[in-house]
Amino acid sequence: MAPIDRKFIERALASPVTRRKFLQGLLVSGALASMPGGLLKAVTSEAGITYEGKYQVFRNACPRNCYDTCSIKTYVKDGVVQFIEGAPESTFTAGALCVKGFSYWRRAYSPDRIKYPMVQQGRGSGNWKRVSWDEAMTRIAKKILEIKKKDDSLLGLGLTKYSGNFGITNYGVEGMMSSLGYTTRFVGTPCWPAGIDAQNYDLGNMWCNDPEDFVHARYAILWGANPAWCSVHTMKFIYEAQERGAKLVVVDPVFSQTAAKADEYWRPNTGQDGALALGMCRHILDKGMYDKEFVTQHAVGFEEFAEYLRREVTVEWAAQKSGIPAQDIAKVAEEFATAKPATIWIGYGLQRHVNGGAMVRAIDALVAMTGNVGKVGGGARYGHLYTWGFNYHALIQKQPEGSKGYVGATGPMGEFDTGQGAKAAKYSDRAVNINQTARMILETNDPPVRMLWVSCKNPFSQDFDLTMLKKAFKKLEMVVVVDQFYNQTVEQADIVLPVTTLLEEWTQNVSYWHYWMSLNEQAIKPMFESKSNIEIAALLSAKMNQLSPGSCTFSPKLNSKKWMEMEFNKGIYDLFGIKSWQDLRKGPVKAKLASSAAWHDYKFKTPSGKYEFKSDLCKEHGHQALPEYLANRKPYAPYRLLTPHSKFNIHSQFQNLDWMAEFNPEPFVYINPKLAAKKGIADGSLVKLSSKVGEMQIKAKLTDNVAPDTLLMYEGWFNKNPYNVQNMVDDTSADMGKWKTGAPGVAIHDQFCDVNPA
Amino acid sequence: MSKKQAGFYIDAQRCIGCYSCAMACKNQYHQEPGVHWRYVYPLKEEIYPHRERAWMSLACNHCEHPTCLEVCPVEAYYKREKDGVVVHEQEKCIGCQNCIRSCPYGAPRFNPARHQAEKCSMCYQRLDAGLKPACVQGCPTYALQFIEDMASFDQSGKVQYLAGFPRFPELNPSVRFRPPREPREVRR
Ligand code: SF4
Ligand code: SF4
Ligand code: SF4
Repeated sequence: MAPIDRKFIERALASPVTRRKFLQGLLVSGALASMPGGLLKAVTSEAGITYEGKYQVFRNACPRNCYDTCSIKTYVKDGVVQFIEGAPESTFTAGALCVKGFSYWRRAYSPDRIKYPMVQQGRGSGNWKRVSWDEAMTRIAKKILEIKKKDDSLLGLGLTKYSGNFGITNYGVEGMMSSLGYTTRFVGTPCWPAGIDAQNYDLGNMWCNDPEDFVHARYAILWGANPAWCSVHTMKFIYEAQERGAKLVVVDPVFSQTAAKADEYWRPNTGQDGALALGMCRHILDKGMYDKEFVTQHAVGFEEFAEYLRREVTVEWAAQKSGIPAQDIAKVAEEFATAKPATIWIGYGLQRHVNGGAMVRAIDALVAMTGNVGKVGGGARYGHLYTWGFNYHALIQKQPEGSKGYVGATGPMGEFDTGQGAKAAKYSDRAVNINQTARMILETNDPPVRMLWVSCKNPFSQDFDLTMLKKAFKKLEMVVVVDQFYNQTVEQADIVLPVTTLLEEWTQNVSYWHYWMSLNEQAIKPMFESKSNIEIAALLSAKMNQLSPGSCTFSPKLNSKKWMEMEFNKGIYDLFGIKSWQDLRKGPVKAKLASSAAWHDYKFKTPSGKYEFKSDLCKEHGHQALPEYLANRKPYAPYRLLTPHSKFNIHSQFQNLDWMAEFNPEPFVYINPKLAAKKGIADGSLVKLSSKVGEMQIKAKLTDNVAPDTLLMYEGWFNKNPYNVQNMVDDTSADMGKWKTGAPGVAIHDQFCDVNPA
Repeated sequence: MSKKQAGFYIDAQRCIGCYSCAMACKNQYHQEPGVHWRYVYPLKEEIYPHRERAWMSLACNHCEHPTCLEVCPVEAYYKREKDGVVVHEQEKCIGCQNCIRSCPYGAPRFNPARHQAEKCSMCYQRLDAGLKPACVQGCPTYALQFIEDMASFDQSGKVQYLAGFPRFPELNPSVRFRPPREPREVRR
């Protein structure tokens, strides 16, 4: 019986959460009255589950920050979700979902949800008191009016919002802020900023091939990307390419699940990907294997780049920097240059370094000089916003008459900002760096950030340097958090407002990876007293105007469906080949693309209109004009600490659900057996990690999936577990990101720590 | 003998251990907390030399000669004539756990809330409606597939007993595997 894990049966037998206990828990929490009864019933395998005409079927779309942005079909009976599946109409989703997707409705119905507006007496005290929506709004509105009176502006009101829900109506949160006046906005993105800037310097935009055209690749390098965990649906296209004879190379400091599927896996020194790419470029140059037509007809600056390579780069140098032997670099370089088409998927991992932007530019250059840009099955794939052409009415709101704000220019307001930053007004919002939330709260004055509104975000699990963040929150006079669960940020709130899940609201979604668009219908009535972000904005607006007429311009009459309808336009309809949003009831639709290849017409959006190996703009912005090697961060502790995504959560979402906890009950730090032996650490034993910003204790798992000088922990939020990787991670900036997203990226993977038995 | 024997094909080279199949099953049947009819097992490092990087997705194997069926004192099990699916009738089950003890694959699970056994039924109602089992449809990589008839399944490159999957020829489990490969590795 060796391989079958009897533990799971035993655990089931000993499960403390019997149905009776579960019911009791619900009674105590008062949730039972509003829990739909059918929900609590497990279905037996022969209970006669039926498929024909017994369900109301709704269309939903996963709004999380995930490449796959799945199209979902939701089956509802008697107002209760019975099960969900991936929409079969989308050739990308193709009927499947990831493990998180399949647990979705467990989230909507979780007894742990925040059910009512609640007020906490003393942040972190857990001393919560239920209040009515009216009372919550009165308290909030009064505070906003108080700030306005005190400062003569609303810059003391800060908004930190990110990607917790990309359903486009959720931009109503930004709209609500603008409706109140000029406020302080945490702008930028922790995700992909350095790479966005890099691709904009090289190509003039970030635009990637349709992932479904992976099947045409004859050679693929997945560089710092782990789709087996972060884009499960793309794997089938990669497999098909392999089955058609393509070679798959994976480059990653971790032997990831994707690496296990590769034909060849490289584990270079972390942060030396730039050297590796440049070494390959040099070898291809020496062998004359570059695409002469592309570099002369469609590019500028290749000669200067070639000269730099001849002067500064050798394959041996790249080998010494990266730890990958020279003959392997040369071999893969030649294979990559000869296979047509060949592609590289640049993951968001490798640009989370102080030299991240420079490394992305080096990889872009490798793809470009081999003539693979603009080719079906080729391309330097990073992401795109090609299908994001909505109206953003919810986002674009007018400040009340006489509002005062920040005087002077501000940059873009985040990567999904559609030209908001460009408007010429006397006043503007005050933009501060989202990747330094703690620092910005502490350092911003005249006026200070007095009140913080948090939505679609869990800063205490996702922002950097937790010690500083705790200190920063002490400076805030009021914290309002809009969320679904009592997470670590909610613990630090004064007022928490329950927000709807995707199943309870209208919205729509597109992806930054594939080219499908999905409608998200309200499949069930909002649970408990939850409201959508749009409804919350409307409610606050009504209250503001009741207390002080004319103080908020957000329309209290429109609901999330109306807002959704207003977001469509002719451009979107034409791009997707539909006449009305109602057509999406029948299923998701895909953008009509002239080619599956980005840049197929070689009309680059750079100043020169060509691919720019040499970018003067990049130089103007304080970087190197050429994709030159940039050194990585000096270690400040003995071991490198990596904190990437897990397959069981998206940032801090999903892991707290009971079903997810069954498959992944507790977090670990992953340590190479060699390092463990040196330190006297046994598999499963408790260890202490310490870095310059904090420390924590956690169980160790020994594995050679990580290098001996590296420690690995997955980010996430476990319900009722103090685990938090942000204890260990500081807020050092990446090189690029400021230009396009308003703030530089953050060097999440340039982190170091020590480890010892606890 | 049934007319046909349906089964599962587990392509361990394609499988990424994502647990979608297991969660798709919970999504379809709302199993009690702690109960899974399908589970994804990592292959031990002696078999695949990297921890948690190769997997076996297992549920009931709908054996040709099911021991669960033989040991059940109240005949709560039957094997469908048309496709060999082994069905457990929960309404008859008295919770004696004989099946749980006898199945060497750990397929029947004890439901503590109902005090009964339960297990994968290959979603036979879905099969009858012309659909794939929920886990199969839910697998994003096509690693888990439905075999309509073992007799006509192309066996080339496939094995019945993947290393780590216990060998019980007398049951003749209706599963086939493709073993996982390893990449060539270049490590500093
Ligand atoms: S998290 Fe990603 S893969 Fe999972 S359901 Fe959502 S979009 Fe799909
Ligand atoms: S795997 Fe176990 S439960 Fe399934 S048919 Fe075979 S003996 Fe019965
Ligand atoms: S869903 Fe498919 S790929 Fe994922 S664990 Fe199950 S069999 Fe493997």
